Amino acid sequence: MTRKSVLIAGLVFISLMYLVNAGCRKLEVVEKTTSDVNIVGYLDKNLDSFSLFKQILEKTGTASFLNAYGSYTCFAPTNSGVKTYLKNIGASSVETADMATLKDMVRLHLLEDTIYTNSFTDGKLPVITMYGQFLITSVVNTSGVSSYVINRQGAVVKSNIRVGNGIIHAIDQVLTPATRTISQQLESKPEYSIFVQAMKETGYFARLNVVDPDLSKRWITVFAESNKALADSGFATYAALKARLSKTGNPTNPKDSLNMYVAYHISSGLKFLGDIITVPTHETLLPQEVVSIKLIDQDVVLNEDEFNGVVEKGVKITREKSDIAATNGVVHDVAAHYRVKFRKPTALYWDVSSFTEIKKLPAFYKKANYNFTRATEADNPIKDHYWGWGPLAGTNVMTYTYSTSSSITNFAVNNDVNMLPLGLPNRPVFWEMRTPPIVKGKYKVWICYRAQKQSSSSNMLCQVEVNGTLMQRTMNFTDNRPAGTDAELEAIGWKRYTENVTNVFAARQVGVIDFLTTQQQIIRITPLNGTQNNNNLDMIQFIPIDQNQILPRFRPDGSLLFQ
Amino acid sequence: MKIYFKYAFALMLVTALGGCKKYLELKPIDGIIKQEFWKTKEQVRASVFGIYSSMMEPSSRSYSTQDYIPSMTELFFVWGESRADNVANATASSRDDIDLVNMNTQPTNVNVNWRPFYRTINFCNTVIEKAPEVLANDNTFTQAQLDNYLSEALTIRALMYFYLVRSFGDVPLKTDATLSDENIKPIPKSTQAQVLNQIVADLKSAESKAVKTYGDVDSDKGRVTQFTINTILADVYLWMDKFPEAIVECDKVINSGKFGLIRGATRNGSLVEYNESWFNTLYVDGNSNEGIFELQFSVQRLNPFFPIFSASIPARRWTASADLIERVFSLDLNDDKNIDIRGDRGSVNAATSTIWKYIGASPTTQRSFDQSFAHWFFYRYADVLLMKAEALNESGNGRDALDLVYRVRARANALAATDLAPSPTDKNLIQDFILEERAREFCFEGKRWYDVLRNAKRKNYARLGILLNTISQSVPSNLQQSAQAKARDVNSHYFPIYLYEMQTNKLLVQNSFYK
Repeated sequence: MTRKSVLIAGLVFISLMYLVNAGCRKLEVVEKTTSDVNIVGYLDKNLDSFSLFKQILEKTGTASFLNAYGSYTCFAPTNSGVKTYLKNIGASSVETADMATLKDMVRLHLLEDTIYTNSFTDGKLPVITMYGQFLITSVVNTSGVSSYVINRQGAVVKSNIRVGNGIIHAIDQVLTPATRTISQQLESKPEYSIFVQAMKETGYFARLNVVDPDLSKRWITVFAESNKALADSGFATYAALKARLSKTGNPTNPKDSLNMYVAYHISSGLKFLGDIITVPTHETLLPQEVVSIKLIDQDVVLNEDEFNGVVEKGVKITREKSDIAATNGVVHDVAAHYRVKFRKPTALYWDVSSFTEIKKLPAFYKKANYNFTRATEADNPIKDHYWGWGPLAGTNVMTYTYSTSSSITNFAVNNDVNMLPLGLPNRPVFWEMRTPPIVKGKYKVWICYRAQKQSSSSNMLCQVEVNGTLMQRTMNFTDNRPAGTDAELEAIGWKRYTENVTNVFAARQVGVIDFLTTQQQIIRITPLNGTQNNNNLDMIQFIPIDQNQILPRFRPDGSLLFQ
Repeated sequence: MKIYFKYAFALMLVTALGGCKKYLELKPIDGIIKQEFWKTKEQVRASVFGIYSSMMEPSSRSYSTQDYIPSMTELFFVWGESRADNVANATASSRDDIDLVNMNTQPTNVNVNWRPFYRTINFCNTVIEKAPEVLANDNTFTQAQLDNYLSEALTIRALMYFYLVRSFGDVPLKTDATLSDENIKPIPKSTQAQVLNQIVADLKSAESKAVKTYGDVDSDKGRVTQFTINTILADVYLWMDKFPEAIVECDKVINSGKFGLIRGATRNGSLVEYNESWFNTLYVDGNSNEGIFELQFSVQRLNPFFPIFSASIPARRWTASADLIERVFSLDLNDDKNIDIRGDRGSVNAATSTIWKYIGASPTTQRSFDQSFAHWFFYRYADVLLMKAEALNESGNGRDALDLVYRVRARANALAATDLAPSPTDKNLIQDFILEERAREFCFEGKRWYDVLRNAKRKNYARLGILLNTISQSVPSNLQQSAQAKARDVNSHYFPIYLYEMQTNKLLVQNSFYK
């Protein structure tokens, strides 16, 4: 063998080794797109805290689906919490516990959505649990440390743990569902005995004692009056209450005042305090009657309303005794007795240009013009006046017009009008206002304006809708009041609403509306034909149909003229 | 012959290597390195100015995304106002901004990113560490000049830590410079008290080194003087509940005779005469006789506020709270000529709830985008007066405290409806009065939350109610009870540490409230 051949053999051998080695290298195949653990994976990694809950998930057969793709929120109770829970249900270990109970328990701890703590409010969570009851959240401060508390049972010890298929919030106690209906809840508390008695005799007790399988019909909210609240109003016994209210002798009759009293305390829907205060009025089971809700400082107050400038004191909800969850709803405690108020329909002579926002500007209110400009569609400078965004951005200006001398406002009520451009293609597409509260009943609706044409050819024909109901007549901001006597004019739907007789100050009766509930109503003016800037709205009058439609008239100083 | 070649070859090699010298050098061609810096006094001066400039850095990356890094000036505002009752979210507020108002701050909230502050702190640390070396290199650089520059770096560092400590409670205290990657090492948090002690020590040492004046107004208001230091010290002492010390520091500023209040209004019987140029002198032009320390934004360096506040663009983030005028300044419905000049068209444009202080070009016209360089007001003389009033009241001298408050009120024609008229012995009511006056005087100047917290936490949170009321004003009604219950946990008054910091510095421990 020559030196050369040894060299070649060596080279071949080495190259072979390379090839062999390359073949030996283990190919790393990435099978997962992420190394994030899922809900069960997280529990597995933290067995010292969650081993018992993990066992429960396995026993109930939920572990596998919680380890699969999805988006869940899981309230995971720690071991100490589960131990307490097992003791309470009389089981010595997870193995011996009742399967059905455990399944319910797991379902109550799971939501089919990801809910971070910044969605927690003073009320219920936005998503229902798989068990079919809502969880409520709050924050509780114990010896200086504040924590989120779920269902008033378990405090959150670690929040917003992001895992592959959702979020975990660790809690220190197991959550237990409400087991009693509203009726049972109230019956179990002797302090509501009079109210419960009234519920029984009016038939509402039975109605609130069932859990409707239809989720959309199940939930009921009750404002219960305690015996003390009733006693404060002079009803020490049920007999006294019945004697005062029940006039038909049959409390189950919906026309009986006792029945109406109970119905007025019940509202459909699941409304915890945190949910109640986000909506200003709530319908009750008493047809077309609402309770209004206000947050005054920290108190939730029912039915505190202003009618014709008079504030009627409301009734406070006792926070500590409220938000009592039941299987079919929630119970709140009201601090005092309240009943439906029957009000006669009263006329509302609404000067639209005396809204809060302009009153806050004393340099302009009843002094000078002021432009309320919306820079963008999202802007909303005036709470109760709103308009559909005009395609030409610069037309989105409502002018508070004031002058004692200008011919536009010299005879207008309080010498001021609101002016808003209207009409396609460029100007705002509707003009919407929220009235002060109007008592339910039938009203004629009068639009009072100062007619003006931006140019001689201008036309501004509009339709009016009240609470979404289209009014029978149209009105036109460019039309002057026709000539004729008051009676003649009223017959054709016109009147003079100002003291001055100039025919540019016109009131057009657009139709009759039947308000079913006593509340703030919505009126909307929509342009049908024509477009211009100078739409001068002075007043909107809602006058009960059986009252004088023509008088009173108004002077420029705002005073009323009854002849 | 052969040997001759060898020598020739060796010679060529040597010369060739010589030619390589530049090529092998690893210095950057477009910058200057540490070894070549810190040689002249001009470089020290540039570094010190860099500290001020770093406070005016703009934000980076896009708002409303998770990697947004707010600018420091923006954070001055957001930290000082968002959780209190003078501001409200606007149409374009991000989830993070809304969460601040709702007391729902999470460690992922971009507004708790303290990066701009530690960046400026590092600039200060660098000057403090390296500037003394220049003495040896530059013979024209005097000890007095060095001291002067050091006083500026020490003061800004103290101010930065003061913001951090008030916002986060315990924070990492770093007083040496991070000059290269080798200096990066995790450091744990120091307690609030330790950091405050460092702040006081720094300010004390700076005071003796600082100048009284630089000889021109812009530098006196835009750079650190002795009076800047005295004012910051007074604020720090108030925070630490050291009232006699705070009074001493306030008096140094007051007795200097160099500052005064810009007259806004003079009442003559039932008539009020207003100084038409008050808003422009104090806020639009800045550097007025009243200014003590202002961040000098200019045409070259715009402030970040135009897009944040302006009602003329769709994406504003913060507005004044809707009831600000009635609740804070009040209105005289009978006489529209009787106004608090700090209210409508002073701090706020009431009709559109626009925060006006930084975007008004005059009481009635708005700045354009390229004119958005209103200064950021760290301290004004009114602050010194009201800080002294607070310290006097806490030391039991209610009468003198009230005199100072009425002095500030008179210049602005504060309305009678906001005069709580406390008796000189009613300490709590005077405290409320001063706090309310500060809300009017420093509306949107990034002080409200710190004022509320300082007063609430005093004497072991004896008046926590102040803070709870403030919060219930601004959170939405369906979160009110939760927010109040959270605020009863005093740890909730301080921000969580930003998640990124927690991940990179393993020695940090998260604020226990944010579990």
